[in-house]
Amino acid sequence: MKPIRTFFIYAALLIHPTARAADSDDEVTARRGALAVAGAFTNDGFKLRDGHWAARFDAHKPQVIQVNLYAGNQYWFSVGTTDQAQEVAISIYDEKGRPLASEPYAEEGKAAAGFSPAASGPYYVKVEEKKGGPATFCLLYSYK
Amino acid sequence: MTWIQRAAICLIGAGLRAALHGEPPDAAPLSEEVLAAAIRTDQLTIPSPGELMAALNKIGKPDWTGEIRPPVPMTFSTRAQMALNLGSIVADGYIAVEAEDAQQVKNVGADILNLAKPLSVQQDIFNRGKSLTEFAEHGQWDTLKEEFECTQNEVKGAMADNKDQDLITLVTLGGWIRGTEVISHFLMKHYSEAGAKLLRQPAIVAYLSARLQESPEKVRDNPTVRQVRADLPKIQLAVSFPRDETPNLEAVKNLYKLTSALMNEISKKDAK
Repeated sequence: MKPIRTFFIYAALLIHPTARAADSDDEVTARRGALAVAGAFTNDGFKLRDGHWAARFDAHKPQVIQVNLYAGNQYWFSVGTTDQAQEVAISIYDEKGRPLASEPYAEEGKAAAGFSPAASGPYYVKVEEKKGGPATFCLLYSYK
Repeated sequence: MTWIQRAAICLIGAGLRAALHGEPPDAAPLSEEVLAAAIRTDQLTIPSPGELMAALNKIGKPDWTGEIRPPVPMTFSTRAQMALNLGSIVADGYIAVEAEDAQQVKNVGADILNLAKPLSVQQDIFNRGKSLTEFAEHGQWDTLKEEFECTQNEVKGAMADNKDQDLITLVTLGGWIRGTEVISHFLMKHYSEAGAKLLRQPAIVAYLSARLQESPEKVRDNPTVRQVRADLPKIQLAVSFPRDETPNLEAVKNLYKLTSALMNEISKKDAK
């Protein structure tokens, strides 16, 4: 049942009408990579948010995104990229900008970070390309 | 993704809990300038009602049936008020799913379609309305949670296509106010410290207030939106307590009073 559900979520996100209209080929590629990583968490009971952020940027020019999380939930942030990015990383910061411990995962052009907030409120997710050329990135997250 | 990669991720998942309270990494903190310039988007910065309910469900087993509200009128004279109510009705959908009330899910689906029509987004979510009914009839509650989130995002996507960007903020606002009203009402009846701490959401109100401020004057001057703008600072104060503090029962009651009064204004026919 779960793999079937994952398939439908994956399919639904890929054929999302707004995504179809607005996303470039690079964004679709990056999103596919992020969904591939997030799919494994979905099989572990994590629910995938129907939303993502995508942008193109250079190596060593990280982007920071604000999220609002709830204490008690567990989160996985997943990022996918186009081929130009070789090494990527995700890190989590609290509302004062202090780095927080998270569980990292990385493979070529993809990364994830697992995090469970101690307090509800705003947090910051930094997406960084450590090695490679300018690339398109897509960030999404799952929770349970 | 190969099975080896999946297995590796599963192992990481198992190790996640162990890492949660580990030592912070040896990385430089983010500067105030970086925090201020951080990207904020409706899709990632605003949590879904499902996330809040997931957190609350871990604390206890809330009786969501008691949080279902009587039908609200569907005849509003302005698009701004319609958008606010559309957001609040999607939040009602999450409550109906948590309460596992199939009829209420169908009612909410019908209400969403009713409001979507004058907002010119009905065509985009017509099939979603049918899916909501089918999933409700088959008791597919988990799928319904995803369906409501997709419905809301498709409404917003269609609004973006129609160049109705300002309405997107109002849909989000309506959903957030209704969600906060419901959670504070529940906590008022079943107070717990862990539950009360979930009400801490200062950045959400700040984000939504800023978005509202950027809206065209025509939207900002809408009578219902004016009321929302007048009440948001009070609500922001009520959800902006320090991270190591817990709001007491009185503070929870105050938040409920503020959000329910505003929700009444939003759902009032012909607001002046």
